[in-house]
Amino acid sequence: MKFWIKLFLGLMLLGIISILLSYFFIYNKPQPNYEKADAQYTMPARDLFREFVQNKAQADSLYTGKVVLIEGKLSRIEKVDSLVLAVFVFGSGMFGEEGVRCTMLPNFKETLILYDTTTPIKIKGYCTGFNDDVILEHCSIVE
Amino acid sequence: MKIKAFIVFVTVLITSVSFGQKYVTKNGSIKFFSDAPLEKIEAINNQVNAALNTETGDLVIKVLMKSFIFEKALMQEHFNENYVESDKYPNATFLGKVTNTSEVNFQKSGHYKATVEGKLTIHGVTRTVKEKGTLTISDGKIMAVSVFPVLLSDYEIKIPGAIAGKISESIDITVEVTMDILNL
Repeated sequence: MKFWIKLFLGLMLLGIISILLSYFFIYNKPQPNYEKADAQYTMPARDLFREFVQNKAQADSLYTGKVVLIEGKLSRIEKVDSLVLAVFVFGSGMFGEEGVRCTMLPNFKETLILYDTTTPIKIKGYCTGFNDDVILEHCSIVE
Repeated sequence: MKIKAFIVFVTVLITSVSFGQKYVTKNGSIKFFSDAPLEKIEAINNQVNAALNTETGDLVIKVLMKSFIFEKALMQEHFNENYVESDKYPNATFLGKVTNTSEVNFQKSGHYKATVEGKLTIHGVTRTVKEKGTLTISDGKIMAVSVFPVLLSDYEIKIPGAIAGKISESIDITVEVTMDILNL
């Protein structure tokens, strides 16, 4: 086989492998594993809420898009369809009570229900910003 | 003294009536879906704030763009960084009214057709919209549902030239909010 044909076939194979790798590892990349992600900030839930209320722009630049670990006592647990939320309340506004709202990962729904409002809890999640509450998604309980 | 007591009584009454007519949720959902040759795009946001005043028909819906969850991380990244620029425009809002509240008996369980009109702001662009939906009154709660299309160009959301035509220029939005009476 001529050198040029071998080179052409080799490059084609390399191209196909690159496309497949890109598809599986870049384009089709699933959501990160937030349960195993390291928290970039650790603080009381009340402080996180207060920082957003006092200076939203500054808090956004620090916490939005980051994994944050909060500590505090739950105000309540909400169940909505298949979702379970941990709710910390520190104030009120036009949509009702305000604070920090954490949507739990599926494998932490059952564990969360074991907590009451008197037991301190540590919750880690991905902060998506402030919508009258601080919103944490993909949350897990840290023991 | 009697006058003071009367004023306090009336104030408490007015406050309780006005609060009694306000329904809210923070667990509403907004889904969007678009189907096109290159890409099927689907996402859901389950942390949607909504408030409805049944007396005036005033309706407010507020959503955080970064709380839309996609199956694929890359798609979510493109959505936030390239399309809706959620760092610059973190929220989408609707401020408007249910215009036919006189046709809805909020005290009686049932399904009612509703018309909603107001200002929808996405990507920093505000447009007047008028959409139809349903209100379902049940167990003291109000469920509002509306499905409507949004043209990306209306909100200056640009599709990169290389993939224009392969991604739908219109997305279907489904809003579903179940509101409870506000007791503060």
